[in-house]
Amino acid sequence: MDEVATKIIEILKKHMKEPRDDISLSTQLTDLKIESLDLAMIVFDIEDTFGIEIPYNANEDVEDFKTVGSVVDRVKSLMAGGPAAAAKA
Amino acid sequence: MAEEKRGRRVVITGMGAVTPIGTTVDEFWAGLRAGKSGVSALGGFPLEDLKILIAAQIKDFDHKARLKHFKRDRIISLADRYSWFAAVAADEAVRMSGLEMPIADPYRSACIIGSGAGGLVTFETAYRDLFILNKRATHPLTLLRIIGSSAAAHVGIEFGVKGPTFATCSACSTATHAIGIARDYIQHGLVDVAIAGASESVINYGTMKAWQALHVLSPEGCFPFSKRRNGTVLGEGAGIFVMESLEHAQARGATILAELVGYGMASDSQDMVKPTIEGPSVAMQNALDDARLAPSSIQYLNAHGTATMDNDINETRAIKNVFGDHAAKLAISSTKSMHGHPLGAGGGIEAVACIKAMQENWVPPTIGLDEPGEGCDLDYVPNVGRDLDVTYAMSNSFAFGGLNAVLIFGPPPV
Repeated sequence: MDEVATKIIEILKKHMKEPRDDISLSTQLTDLKIESLDLAMIVFDIEDTFGIEIPYNANEDVEDFKTVGSVVDRVKSLMAGGPAAAAKA
Repeated sequence: MAEEKRGRRVVITGMGAVTPIGTTVDEFWAGLRAGKSGVSALGGFPLEDLKILIAAQIKDFDHKARLKHFKRDRIISLADRYSWFAAVAADEAVRMSGLEMPIADPYRSACIIGSGAGGLVTFETAYRDLFILNKRATHPLTLLRIIGSSAAAHVGIEFGVKGPTFATCSACSTATHAIGIARDYIQHGLVDVAIAGASESVINYGTMKAWQALHVLSPEGCFPFSKRRNGTVLGEGAGIFVMESLEHAQARGATILAELVGYGMASDSQDMVKPTIEGPSVAMQNALDDARLAPSSIQYLNAHGTATMDNDINETRAIKNVFGDHAAKLAISSTKSMHGHPLGAGGGIEAVACIKAMQENWVPPTIGLDEPGEGCDLDYVPNVGRDLDVTYAMSNSFAFGGLNAVLIFGPPPV
């Protein structure tokens, strides 16, 4: 796992009531019992850590936040700051 | 008035206090017994250009230790400090009451916990982040920490309260209004149980600047009714009750601490800062009428007693107005001389002092009262508390804007 993924998993664990050590890229966020308020804090921490802004609305189901891997991909694309990232936003 | 119109009797079965002179009811009472002053050098944040450098702050409050057993409310430890105080005081009150929460029908319980200003400390931190530190966003919990109803919501979540849950807001009368409304709900049969009171924690740079600009804070100390009084001293804390209908408390064999026998309100409707004699007088008289008590039935009065020039002389005149000849015989004290002015929480903390005074037949003093101020010529129990049989106690709360609320407590019904 690369540095971005490792950092994101650290952030997820920080916000989990019962942190687990078996989190992989394919782990579903719903399996981690992350609720909307946790997600808001996780997004805030990720934004601070990587110096990015993640456009997301707690009222909508966000495809990007289904699995740990999809969060990592989203963060990487935002960090790249390319047109793909902007279009996705 | 027809007897049935009065509705059900309402009793206090639990109480909790978080104050600068003790963060449990026992510690608070020991502080009052000792005539302890909670006023100290202002601290905990950069004082910058502040001129008023004292406050009654709660130092070394270990919210994590006090809240770690909370089960239903997972984020209480991430809430604003004013919600911590409310949660800790409510927890103490619920434990003391022996009530199993949630109650069997959770819709028959209420949680009314007010705050004069909500999460002001969070507000300031968030705005400093944005405007001074140029941070890109506020912490995600900022909004939830700030709202003035968050203490009520947190406590309601933890104790499974599904009936009326909200905050009151009436500056220094906030707690008294919350307790009074809860009394009405129980009396009229809307609920059987209520957690009610208020919490406040606003001491930060911006709050100190705002109060300083109003020129009502003392640079030296809180000396109610004294000649040397020159303003109030900001405090913080929470005072919260568990209240029940008499039948509900008796049916479960609860220990009843006191009966809430009277509640009166009146608004000056005149000025934001200059009080009238009429408003406080009518509020006290309404409470006496509500309790069906003659003024001479009251032995102890916990005064609003803020140590401002205006309040103390005006309150004295209003007391004389209502109590007549009995005013001189009444034991009156301002416990704000010890715990400072906890703003919205004041009426809750002071109501706890009233009930303890009744339980222990000892009235707390007004400390720092060496020489009474002009026109302050009643018995303010100067400097040393005293033994006194207290059957009925009155608690006054008079707020900016002329918002007056008064409670009267009586003995547990037998």
